[in-house]
Amino acid sequence: MWKRKKNRPHFPCSIEVLHNQFKSALHDSPDLEMVTYTIGRKQVAIFYISYQINKKELHKHILSTIVQLPSQHAHYQHLLNTIPIAGRSYEALTPIIKSLLQGHCCVYIEHDDQALTYAISEVKQRSVDKAENESLIYGPQLSFTESLETNLNIVQWRLNTGDLEADKLMVGERIPTEVRVVYLKSLANEENVQTVTQRINDLVIDDVIDTSVLAQLIEDKSTSMFPQSLQTELPDRLCYEIKKGRIGILLDKSPHVLIVPISIFNLLESTEDVYMRWNMGTFLRILRIIATILSILLTPAYVAALTYHYEVIPSSLLVSLGQSRSNVPFPPLIEALLLELVIELLREAGVRLPTKVGQTMGIVGGIVLGQAAVQAGFTSNILIIIIALSALGSFTAPNYMMGTAIRIIRFPTIIMAGLWGFIGIFAACAFFIIHLLRLSSLGRPYLEPIYPFILKDVNNNFFRLPWNKNNTRPLASQPKDSFRFSSLKAKEKKDIDE
Amino acid sequence: MHPSGPNINKNAQVSAFYIFFVIHSMQIGAGIMGIPQILFIQAKGSAWISVLLTGILLHLTVFIMVKLLQQYENADLFMIQKKLFGKWISLLLGTIYLSYLFLVVSSIILTYIEVVQVYIFPDIPNYQLSFLLIALAVYAINGGFRVAVGTSFIFFFVSSFMMLLLIKPITLIEWVHYLPIIQAPLRDILMGAYQTSYTVIGLEILLFIYPFIINKRKIAVAAHSAVFYTTFILFFVTFVSIGYFSGPQLENQIWPTLSMFKIVTSPIIERFDFLAVAFWIFIILPNIILFTWLISYGAKRLYHVKQKHALYVLAFLLYLVVSIVYDRTMIRNLSTSAGNIGFYIVFVYPWILYLLIVIKKKMQQLKGRNTP
Repeated sequence: MWKRKKNRPHFPCSIEVLHNQFKSALHDSPDLEMVTYTIGRKQVAIFYISYQINKKELHKHILSTIVQLPSQHAHYQHLLNTIPIAGRSYEALTPIIKSLLQGHCCVYIEHDDQALTYAISEVKQRSVDKAENESLIYGPQLSFTESLETNLNIVQWRLNTGDLEADKLMVGERIPTEVRVVYLKSLANEENVQTVTQRINDLVIDDVIDTSVLAQLIEDKSTSMFPQSLQTELPDRLCYEIKKGRIGILLDKSPHVLIVPISIFNLLESTEDVYMRWNMGTFLRILRIIATILSILLTPAYVAALTYHYEVIPSSLLVSLGQSRSNVPFPPLIEALLLELVIELLREAGVRLPTKVGQTMGIVGGIVLGQAAVQAGFTSNILIIIIALSALGSFTAPNYMMGTAIRIIRFPTIIMAGLWGFIGIFAACAFFIIHLLRLSSLGRPYLEPIYPFILKDVNNNFFRLPWNKNNTRPLASQPKDSFRFSSLKAKEKKDIDE
Repeated sequence: MHPSGPNINKNAQVSAFYIFFVIHSMQIGAGIMGIPQILFIQAKGSAWISVLLTGILLHLTVFIMVKLLQQYENADLFMIQKKLFGKWISLLLGTIYLSYLFLVVSSIILTYIEVVQVYIFPDIPNYQLSFLLIALAVYAINGGFRVAVGTSFIFFFVSSFMMLLLIKPITLIEWVHYLPIIQAPLRDILMGAYQTSYTVIGLEILLFIYPFIINKRKIAVAAHSAVFYTTFILFFVTFVSIGYFSGPQLENQIWPTLSMFKIVTSPIIERFDFLAVAFWIFIILPNIILFTWLISYGAKRLYHVKQKHALYVLAFLLYLVVSIVYDRTMIRNLSTSAGNIGFYIVFVYPWILYLLIVIKKKMQQLKGRNTP
């Protein structure tokens, strides 16, 4: 009953009645403004919400046209033709109220059959800027913003082809937010696209704040520490992955996009490896993987060696270690945990503080605290070196989420090392490997291309071969067309001095 | 009413390529730590010949196993037994097989714990370390067959660097130790080959995972190369220990392989044997995982229970057994009896099965001829 009443055409009616209806629909909002003009014998009313619209446009295009309207043409059809902005006419009230809230203005001529709306909304948002969190030395510096329109614009500009699809989905029951699933139709695996679409459509949730929340909602295993989708603010990263056949997910009001399906090695690679020369890129990738492993193992190894396995340390090193530890009153486990905690505190404080204070914070915390801790006999200086190294190692991960995961899994490893020495460390490592083996991203194994082993992917996506040899897309993301180009003809091999 | 092979979910299937790693990591486990000593006591300086003989036996066994499996389209051992012996006898045989596997896996865990107790932690109780190992195994098996195979694949590469630790001992080999080539009577060499069998059991998994393989045609290549590589590693380790240790020395080393790591040093790490013992967890774990998976899966096939339930019961039993046994002689007895039974179950039983199948087929042919 109630619904039918609402959708019934309200027009024609008088300005007063319409105004009252708007008022009751908007709960007597103080921001609902009404401007009226008289043209001939008819009244024209313009309704809008004051902070939602661009007043300049209202004056310049709409009001000026209405004022100059000859009295015999006081009809909505005529207005549609004369006002130089695309307008829409409605017979029902509900869509008009919806568009009022979105920042449209409503123009109604007394006793007309239909009312008009004009989109002159103005949303305050920052302009497209340089990427701050994932900064690159080479390559495009542009980063995404909070506006979905801008982001789509950037993506379309970078991937300027009709092949680009941007399926529109809505998520959130109370506050619907627009989601776009972006992919290249000729490349992306349809099954993957369907899975993504279905997972988003199946979400029964009030609202989604940010892509990182959406990521956690649609992930394969939400209990895991490791991110199973790649979050980036770099358009070039998104487009690079889309061109490999992966799928991007854009959410309105969020400056990050999601990329699925991924493997753990995607989280350890940066687009910069691609822009660098191939040997440098490969070096950097291997460096990062080694840094990750060291970052997890260094402190536990110290704890294990000093608690249980003195024999493992060479005698010359053992002397200096013993000297530096001679004043330390704690067992190595407590010592390491304390210092790891200090580093985590420093990092967290540095992130939360404003940039200028943050730098001072780092210096005060890092140098003063470290120096004082050693002199006070709280820790050995060797442990400080080790902890600083492993902290550095974890910061090499190009993905912040991944870096955090690495830092956190270090704590259980240290405790295991304190309990069972090297066996504890290796058991923890075995646990992590088994855990990674059990993970999947959009149903694809997380450790691809190592397990399942795909030689071509290892060559071109684990390492980085020269561009002319790098002619396949990763089979892991199951692209429809796995060949980028037929491999360039090798230059004829010439003899020396020919 | 014909018993058929199990229907395996496509997501659980793996390609034959991984069978190499599965079989190899099933075979290499705790045994390789001590095998040179056992062999040397038996066959003296000719122990390496025993290993080569075992290698030939392995290839023959793989050959007959593949032959056996190829008799049917999608067969595993349980199905073959059911076809040959009927419901009740096959149930009994399957139970015997599973209890043998249980014996093997508990002896593997016990041997490893013993090594850890001797080398690193003299005081660590059995129940702690076995809990660690079994919990990891249960976690992996809960992920399914693919994860179990994945552990064997990744841990194979993680642990293969251990071979590099033998470079230093190789440079110290006394070549006189190998001469004369035949240092023991043929009977002793053959006995040595027989005793190697404990170390290399594990290839029987082939009889169970055949339905899990996508490209079944390539299985022979993978299995043969796996046992070849196992033989190679065993041969390598035995050969180097014979050359590196003098005779009486080797007779007194319970784990010669680990002892050889002792002289390897680097500027950062002085004693590699400590690390190696801890690192052995990467060799032992796939072993435990695959054996435990096999038993739980076998229980599912045999008794029609949920694999998850079977796994938990099994893990509990295993934990109980492993925590109770503490005596070194008990462990030795356990592993020797597992080896003795294993020889017949792994190397002899497939031949019997194959023979029976061939006879049965002949009989059916004759019957078919008699009643047109």
